[in-house]
Amino acid sequence: MALLELDGINKVYGEGEVALHVLRDVDLAIEERELVALIGASGSGKSTLMNILGCLDRPSSGTYRLRGEDVSRLSDDRLSEIRNREIGFVFQSFMLVPQLTVLENVEVPLFYRGLPRPKRHAMAREVLGLVGLAARIGHKPPQLSGGERQRVAIARALVNDPLLLLADEPTGNLDSRTGEEILRLFDGLHAEGHTILMVTHDTRVADRAQRRVTIRDGRIIEDTAVEPAGGKA
Amino acid sequence: MIGGKYAEMFALGLRNMRGYKLRSFLSMLGIGIGVASVIAMFATAEGAEREILAQIGRLGVRNIIINSVKPAEQRQDSAGTSWVLRFGLTFRDHRQIAATVSTASQVLPVHTNSDVVWEGSRRVDGKLHGVQPQHMRLLKLDVTAGRSLTEMDNLLFARVCVVRPGLLRELGWFGEPLGHRLMVGEQYYEIVGLLAEEEFTGLTQKALNVDSRSFEIYAPYETVLKRHGTTSIIRKSGAMEATDVQLHQILVEVDEQDNVLATARMIQQILEKFHPERDYEMIVPLELLAQRQKAQQVFSYALLAIALVSLMVGGIGIMNIMLATITERTREIGIRRALGAKKRHIVAQFLTETVTMTAVGGCLGLMLGFLADWLLRTSTGWSTVVSGEAVILSMGISCLVGILAGLWPAGKAARMDPIAALRYE
Repeated sequence: MALLELDGINKVYGEGEVALHVLRDVDLAIEERELVALIGASGSGKSTLMNILGCLDRPSSGTYRLRGEDVSRLSDDRLSEIRNREIGFVFQSFMLVPQLTVLENVEVPLFYRGLPRPKRHAMAREVLGLVGLAARIGHKPPQLSGGERQRVAIARALVNDPLLLLADEPTGNLDSRTGEEILRLFDGLHAEGHTILMVTHDTRVADRAQRRVTIRDGRIIEDTAVEPAGGKA
Repeated sequence: MIGGKYAEMFALGLRNMRGYKLRSFLSMLGIGIGVASVIAMFATAEGAEREILAQIGRLGVRNIIINSVKPAEQRQDSAGTSWVLRFGLTFRDHRQIAATVSTASQVLPVHTNSDVVWEGSRRVDGKLHGVQPQHMRLLKLDVTAGRSLTEMDNLLFARVCVVRPGLLRELGWFGEPLGHRLMVGEQYYEIVGLLAEEEFTGLTQKALNVDSRSFEIYAPYETVLKRHGTTSIIRKSGAMEATDVQLHQILVEVDEQDNVLATARMIQQILEKFHPERDYEMIVPLELLAQRQKAQQVFSYALLAIALVSLMVGGIGIMNIMLATITERTREIGIRRALGAKKRHIVAQFLTETVTMTAVGGCLGLMLGFLADWLLRTSTGWSTVVSGEAVILSMGISCLVGILAGLWPAGKAARMDPIAALRYE
């Protein structure tokens, strides 16, 4: 059984004449431990697809099964719980809460999971150590560099040990050297067994994935498995 | 654990307010001023009420006080002439009331003689009240040293008196007061008791027949009548005014509080018959008490309304600030939703932030209120009382205002589409 399965997903915004068909009959299955690159130009529907995969949005029709459970018709509260426990988001613009310290930012998902404070501290410290930011836990996001902020965001995505890491252009706001560091971090996570879906339009980023899914005008037009860049050498 | 969670959110609310110091402070000030005005106004009202109650309580709720009053229409003065002016309560009035009003447990006559008190060459205006011994008890004129007047003093026409220490100070007598002989007019009175120093205002002053210009001297009723008669002569600026007043006051004690108003009506009827020109006035503390309490109640409602309006204005300020905050923190809301916050978490977060703000504003208001109370008391001399109820009420209302003002913005935050919120720049 695939980790996640999309079956005939459609997403339509609006109704009648002005209806905007953003996704058309999208079928996609992602296995555990895969690193998938989702490639598409802006307006291709990749963001919508990512929102549906991340349970931030519900499809207009079709089913989305996450580890066998149909999540396409769940209530808002249940979707919140799934986002909390099963999905880890990494955004292009980091999306940290500026008033909170690094440690507290990482603790946010644990707070909504309802864990007590000491436990949250311990877990957050652990993942921050994993991304190499143990020394920065008391800082606030504006005091950090872009690469550091993205590492905080990755730590936050990992802290609940999710089924799926969703990364939306994770290197889009970083210079190429820092972007490379972040990509190496993702490679490492992949190697440890995390399932990662990375949305990108950067072919160099896409090249590192085992599998490339290309979307255009709301349809998946290409789904190819490639040899990882490292494997070619 | 739930409690801990809210404590954390409360702490987070405080920290978020630090992020917008000036703005939060200003909107908290709105609530603060509301709370302060509630406290200050209630303190004033409470103080005024307690003062009235104390005044009226001082006169005794079972007492009825009737004073002689100089009728206005007989005041056709022409300078240099003198005649005897007769008015006021009479011995007959006293007998009538004592004989016919069965609910009166005591009817006490008072004859007051305004006279000059001498000490060597020093003179002070005095008011010699000839009273029955029970009078001292009814009006709570308790001696702090020596003894009060007794029935025996009356029988023996004893020339004794009870005075306030202020009189002796004014006379320049600093020796042992008890046993000292005062010369009142042309009569000597030996001081046998000292009253506490008391200051009377308004109603009490009137009811006790005292004024701030002269000093009271209490002497046995029979002695004063026998020694000074009923006629007194007042010399002022060339003119002489002689008055003949038999009784200056009749003090009635009613047997039960429930009978006070009926008794007052009965006395009124008796007096109306003999005094068509209304040269008397009646003071019924119980009636005044009821009137004052009613007036006070209306006043309190008005204050409450004003205070609620000012708290509402504060609440609108808070709501405005929360709406601005939520717009500013749209991204944060999106982030929290993406990380698993349910709608109710968002509601709870912003509601606690609002309540935190109003609670802090309320505490600020509490301090301002105490400050305002202190300023009022020291600058105007009003007696104000900050009651526990006012504090609890204003804090409770300010938290309620926080909840009401926070509900809509918090609901708005929770209803935001997480995707749109995340994209918000």
